[in-house]
Amino acid sequence: MTIEVRNVSKSFGAYHALKNVSLTVEDGELMALLGPSGSGKTTLLRIIAGLDQPDSGEVLIHGQDLSKQAVRDRRVGFVFQHYSLFKNMSVFENVAFGLRVRPRHQRPSDVEIKRRVDELLGLVQLDPFASRYPAQLSGGQRQRVALARALAIEPKVLLLDEPFGALDARVRKELRRWMRKLHKEINVTSVFVTHDQEEALELADRIAIMNAGQIEQVATPSEAYDRPATQFVSEFLGFANRLACQVENGVARVGGFALPVELENYAGDAVAYIRPHEIGLARANGHDIAKATIDSIVALGPSARVDLAFGDDRLEALIDRERLAELGLSVGDDCAITITRAHVFKSA
Amino acid sequence: MSGDRRDRPALREPRWARWAIFVGGIGFLVVFVVLPLATVAVEALRKGFDVYRHSLSDPDTVSAIHMTLAVAAIAVPLNCVFGVAAAWAFGKFDFRGKTILVSLIDLPFSVSPVIAGMVFLLMFGLQGWFGSWLRDHHIKIVFALPGLVLATIFVTLPFVARELIPLMQEQGTDEEEAARMLGAGGFRIFWSITLPNIKWALLYGVLLCNARAMGEFGAVSVVSGHIRGLTNTLPLQVDILYNEYNMVGAFATASLLAGLALITLAAKSFLEWRYADQLALTRR
Amino acid sequence: MTAAIARKPFRRWSVLPGFAPALGFTLTYLSLIVIIPLIALFLKASQLDMASIWRILDNPRVFAAFRLTFVASAVAAGINAVFGLVIAWLLVRYRFWGRRIVDALVDLPFALPTAVAGVSLSALMARNGWVGALFAPFGIDIAYAPPGIVIALIFVGLPFVVRTVQPVLQDFEPELEEAAATLGADRWVTFLRITFPALAPAMLTGFALAFARAIGEYGSVIFIAGNRPGLTEIVPLLIVIKLEEFDYRGASVIAVASLIISFSLLILINLLQRRLGEHHERG
Repeated sequence: MTIEVRNVSKSFGAYHALKNVSLTVEDGELMALLGPSGSGKTTLLRIIAGLDQPDSGEVLIHGQDLSKQAVRDRRVGFVFQHYSLFKNMSVFENVAFGLRVRPRHQRPSDVEIKRRVDELLGLVQLDPFASRYPAQLSGGQRQRVALARALAIEPKVLLLDEPFGALDARVRKELRRWMRKLHKEINVTSVFVTHDQEEALELADRIAIMNAGQIEQVATPSEAYDRPATQFVSEFLGFANRLACQVENGVARVGGFALPVELENYAGDAVAYIRPHEIGLARANGHDIAKATIDSIVALGPSARVDLAFGDDRLEALIDRERLAELGLSVGDDCAITITRAHVFKSA
Repeated sequence: MSGDRRDRPALREPRWARWAIFVGGIGFLVVFVVLPLATVAVEALRKGFDVYRHSLSDPDTVSAIHMTLAVAAIAVPLNCVFGVAAAWAFGKFDFRGKTILVSLIDLPFSVSPVIAGMVFLLMFGLQGWFGSWLRDHHIKIVFALPGLVLATIFVTLPFVARELIPLMQEQGTDEEEAARMLGAGGFRIFWSITLPNIKWALLYGVLLCNARAMGEFGAVSVVSGHIRGLTNTLPLQVDILYNEYNMVGAFATASLLAGLALITLAAKSFLEWRYADQLALTRR
Repeated sequence: MTAAIARKPFRRWSVLPGFAPALGFTLTYLSLIVIIPLIALFLKASQLDMASIWRILDNPRVFAAFRLTFVASAVAAGINAVFGLVIAWLLVRYRFWGRRIVDALVDLPFALPTAVAGVSLSALMARNGWVGALFAPFGIDIAYAPPGIVIALIFVGLPFVVRTVQPVLQDFEPELEEAAATLGADRWVTFLRITFPALAPAMLTGFALAFARAIGEYGSVIFIAGNRPGLTEIVPLLIVIKLEEFDYRGASVIAVASLIISFSLLILINLLQRRLGEHHERG
């Protein structure tokens, strides 16, 4: 089932949460909505679910406009940020809820409900916990109950709001891997909201990066990282050094280097973003194009982060520690730098 | 009439249900709150404003006003001191049996006011435990001001304490301990650290305590002896006038108390609105 | 190995001064005003042997007063439970003009002296009163009849359920209802299975408070009740009548009986409530 969001806008009072947003999620895809808080990602997810009404625009699920349909008739699985498990019901009853509230003629028999719930609890590896209450579960277990409960209604699409947001780092990593595997198994078109880029990069087939109520870029994780479409994406996704530069005739002059850019008919001020690993270091030898001074060196496992003073700018370079040792560079030394790649945008 | 703050479709009741809730809730309050208030005003002014004023200047009514003020002026400060002391002991210290003692403070709320008055009759009445001793020493407690005060203290005892205890518990002892480390003495700590932190909650409790103290009927009725012009408080005066079929007089007197209630409500709402963060957690 | 089990200290050590005087004053005051007088009441009643006690209680007039008081209190608290929930819902979930005033008015019964409530309710509900006149043509008397007593008790208990349910509803995550909706439940099923169970303990607390208050209520009831022995006479009034007849023993026995019954009911409700709230404490 595909999800199609067309020209959706939504404001709360004077605050524009979404500005004319369009997005297509393909059948079976796992899409991440990534952005800082306040970027509108949760609002978009809630509108897809029907939990909020857009001021304008429409949401099509499998080609069907659902905007007139009540939430309960949409068959959209939704996993809430804080899981919102029903505290007065056991794990089993939580998962069975969606089956039990069906109109009598569509309701499965008790035996059938038991079979389905057991199957789901098996899927999320919680079979031994069926008779427990939410208060007796750990965060990760609650998260899996919420997921099983959402899946029980055989949703057309699955929506997850910050699914790992409330968990500690270790559990989060484990669940992420498990979730990836689960998605392959059940293959439901899914959208999840996150502010954690690592989570988005690791889990999603594609990422929609949102900022200030708009989608800045929709791309696969590697595409978004390697070819950020906007300044915001370059800054938000991973770290990038930022340098002012000049563009002329399709070439950007960045710190003495001439780099080809895709800004063909533009001449003037621009901003270049350079990833730390795209800065090369060498010993200074008197006639280098660009020189910098090493401010500090921080060992990060096998690599080292080298902080550089480059004129009035500061740069961060990432380099193998072995390579750094070979070069024999240390704090206070001058060194030569090379910039192999940059993403250049017109100055605003 | 609109729905939830963010107007979430899944939380919206069907139209008819929304109207049923609105009409049912407001209608209930109109019948039980607005109409009784309106009745007091209408009945008090039934024979015009002059008769209203005249009945308020009746000497017995004036003496009832004095009596009510006197009772409140003694009972409220005493319960205020009690409330602060109890909150200091229960809110700032941890000791065994605390929970039970705290729940004892609320006891007067679950005792009928009539029983509250009666216990003092049993102790200090002529047939009571200390009755003959008091008579021999010419001390009058029941059917006199001290009895009215005792009964009033009984029924209004919890008000200040129950506002302060949860608040002081919640505020913890960090600030007081810091002051102690800096060398401040007990009274100094209380005046310059604790009191500023609890002043609005204290006022809130005093407000409620005072409203009940001035309005108490059952408990004082039992110990007053209904001696006109001597041991009658305003609520008792309402009773007497009503039983004499002096409706304008009864409702005029009642209107004073209703006015006090409305002022109390207004002040209480103002405190809840303006100083919500400085009242106990249960208040918004 | 010597197992020296240290006795838990009476109080946790603290640098703050004033514990002893504050606790001392509190306990003395509480004892003098509340505890000793109540014990005196129980002692007074216990001076009688069981047969005499039974003779006082086993009397049609006394029995009728107890039945009336407890039934009317339960009915009034029940009606308050339903409408208290409705009003709390209205105040928390809806936005309308004058909401703050409505919110403030809910507390009027706490602030309005009971005698004032009594005289105005009886004027309102009498045959020629604004409300009483609506029922009079059908031969229904409200004032000076049991319904009047229930009306007065509804008035005094009105704020309890609203004020216990309101904060719970305020803190209730709307996501729970949304979760139910995404799973296909309609509004009514969501209310019955999700919202109501979460509010029920608070409603029960409110019910118990309103009920306890109603059992002891005197001022607002006696004006509207008519006070006919065996018909519209409540327990507190019966106590007052006995006192006026200087029958202190009879009054004490009835007072103690009423205290014991209402305390046992409160404990019962407390236990029930604990069971209801079992899974709500955490998470």
